[in-house]
Amino acid sequence: MGPLVDYLPDSDRGKTALKLNDESTIADMLQKLQIKRKVVVAVNGDEEKGLDHVLIDGDEVLVFSIISGG
Amino acid sequence: MPYGYTGKVLHVNLTKGELEIEEPDEKFYRTYMGGSAMGLHYVLKETPAGVDPFSPDNVLALCTGVLTGTPVSGQSRLTSVAKSPLTGCIGDAQGGGYFPAEMKFSGFDAVIIKGKSPKPVYLWMHHGEAELRDAGHLWGLTTGDAEDKLKEELDDKRIEVLQIGPAGENLVRFSALISMSNRANGRTGMGAVMGSKNLKAVVVRGKMKPAVSNPEKFKEIQKLAKVNLEPTGMDGFGKYGTPGVTTPQHKAGGLPTYNFNSGNFDKHEEIDGLKLYNEHLRGHEKDDQNRFGRDTCFSCSIKCKRVAQIDEGPFKTDAKYGGPEYETLATFGSYCGISDMDAIIHANALCNMYGMDTISCGATIAWAMECWEEGKITAEDTGGIELQYGNAEAMAKITEMIANREGFGEILAEGSKKAAEIIGRGTEDYLITSKGQEAPAHMPQVKRSLSVIYAANPFGADHESSEHDPGYKAYPERMKEIGLTNPQEKLALNKEMMRFAMITQHLSSAVDSLSVCAFVFGASFQLYSPEELVKTVNAVMGWDVDMKEILEVGERRLNMLRAFNSREGVGRESDTLPKKMFKRPLEGGRSDGYVLDEGEWEVALEDYYRLCDWDVETGHPSLRKMESLGLGWVVAENEALSHAIT
Ligand code: SF4
Repeated sequence: MGPLVDYLPDSDRGKTALKLNDESTIADMLQKLQIKRKVVVAVNGDEEKGLDHVLIDGDEVLVFSIISGG
Repeated sequence: MPYGYTGKVLHVNLTKGELEIEEPDEKFYRTYMGGSAMGLHYVLKETPAGVDPFSPDNVLALCTGVLTGTPVSGQSRLTSVAKSPLTGCIGDAQGGGYFPAEMKFSGFDAVIIKGKSPKPVYLWMHHGEAELRDAGHLWGLTTGDAEDKLKEELDDKRIEVLQIGPAGENLVRFSALISMSNRANGRTGMGAVMGSKNLKAVVVRGKMKPAVSNPEKFKEIQKLAKVNLEPTGMDGFGKYGTPGVTTPQHKAGGLPTYNFNSGNFDKHEEIDGLKLYNEHLRGHEKDDQNRFGRDTCFSCSIKCKRVAQIDEGPFKTDAKYGGPEYETLATFGSYCGISDMDAIIHANALCNMYGMDTISCGATIAWAMECWEEGKITAEDTGGIELQYGNAEAMAKITEMIANREGFGEILAEGSKKAAEIIGRGTEDYLITSKGQEAPAHMPQVKRSLSVIYAANPFGADHESSEHDPGYKAYPERMKEIGLTNPQEKLALNKEMMRFAMITQHLSSAVDSLSVCAFVFGASFQLYSPEELVKTVNAVMGWDVDMKEILEVGERRLNMLRAFNSREGVGRESDTLPKKMFKRPLEGGRSDGYVLDEGEWEVALEDYYRLCDWDVETGHPSLRKMESLGLGWVVAENEALSHAIT
């Protein structure tokens, strides 16, 4: 979300359901989306999961850049 | 000829109509580097203790930094410093655009303004010369109109103008300095200080480009901008601007809503960067926003500024007044429960046109709205305007009334804290101010180290004075460059987070003294890392500074700010947060139930003081700290300080 919506051009404002292989990790998902930049990923509201965290069916994943400012 | 700087500081005495040029030595530039620290040097030397912010004795310093005007992203910034009429403490505000670089090209690094002109004047600085000119015909004009008139009268379209609007003339306590009719040195009421001096504008033009010591190394820095653009995500930041953070802020439970009672705004998608870009930026009909709907500052490749235009209807808006930043979308939007993008674009334009800070203005209206909802302010106070949350028409109307000090606007023009004192009836319980300055759109309940910075920052609640909590964990390589290697869990408020707050505050203070953009140089998401900032300074100046020296410049500036307040009798008692942050848990969304624990918070504040080497009882810097930063003169020259700082 935020400036990252451009990685999901066909989505509804950056929201979409993704099909991933079983045992896919956060890193796999970012690779599939070709996101190489620095992002924060929250799985079901938890931002503390590492890149090797394995996603399961139905997880809600938020991807955003951390930009503080105004 | 020196590198980077021009070596000339212009002193203006408006009472006498006299101008004088000072030529400080290189040591002076290396000690302060420009911007805030340089301005503070003059404000501390030249204002008497206890000065009234509106008296001729207040000094307004407008300072660029040693990098300003060299063709690298993020260097065209100017810092204004004076005693603040909003807070009664030190005031400090940064702004960008093309004015700062053009001022350098005009042959001056800084202007130090004191006195009060008997009649309205403007200062014209060009090609190494300066003069005061009559501004009687400009007084009362909006920023856009005054700028047009000046271009016509000086017969030059390429002049740059830093000016006050009618709000500054009317001494609205949160009025801003505006350049390009859409860039603001927004915070702490610097526009009102300029207005009190009968100075309408500073106008600059020149061709005196600063020299670069090592062109090869400088070119490498320039090239790095392209390399860094995608991996840092700053290309997306440029495209959607700061408004791109609105939705992520909401998702994190940190989008201040209903005067900071919630971090969750259901209608956040109506006011976010995507919506602004797709449906409101100039050129969106032809999918050509990148050309027509974005703007930049001198030589910046990020191009994060918005340009919006509304052709008809009640919120008709001229594109010359720019477009809203995230802060503005929040203060006029979610703070007020308003989701009408047109109304926010319009309010933003009104602030730029009349010259007001969008944060304090929107937040003051949000405070009045909560007071209305609670029955503390009624139609009798407002002259019949209904101030319930979500009333976009009322918000726009009140904004204009504040600028003109008309009706209820007369009271709100004092800022929410003074307005609460005037109205009474318990309205102070709804304030969201620290030191009388309204809180910007990042929530201390969600980003806990920010809670101490909001309280302890010498010029009031500020979001650009340190890195925000999530940055510690997310950017380990850059944090390591400034000695931060021990990130903590979310919501932690412990000693390590206080170290994080203080060290990143030193870096931000250096950024504000070099007077460079906080989106371009920093320890987290920015285009360039702290080490790359060091390299840039050395490439331009031919110096051999290291990270330690840069951080020390920042620490010096922070202690100068703090010492100014100590001189004014302001110390620990002023380092507080709005009551509601301790008493009222947030409602809804991801941060539902979040509230600060006062006991834990006081311990953190004291840890922060100890790390800063400030007295835990009084909050004043220690003499030892002042002397170690080469600031012994500040104490020696100020009678009042020799009692406070021991
Ligand atoms: S990042 Fe934005 S605000 Fe900063 S210098 Fe560039 S265009 Fe200006």
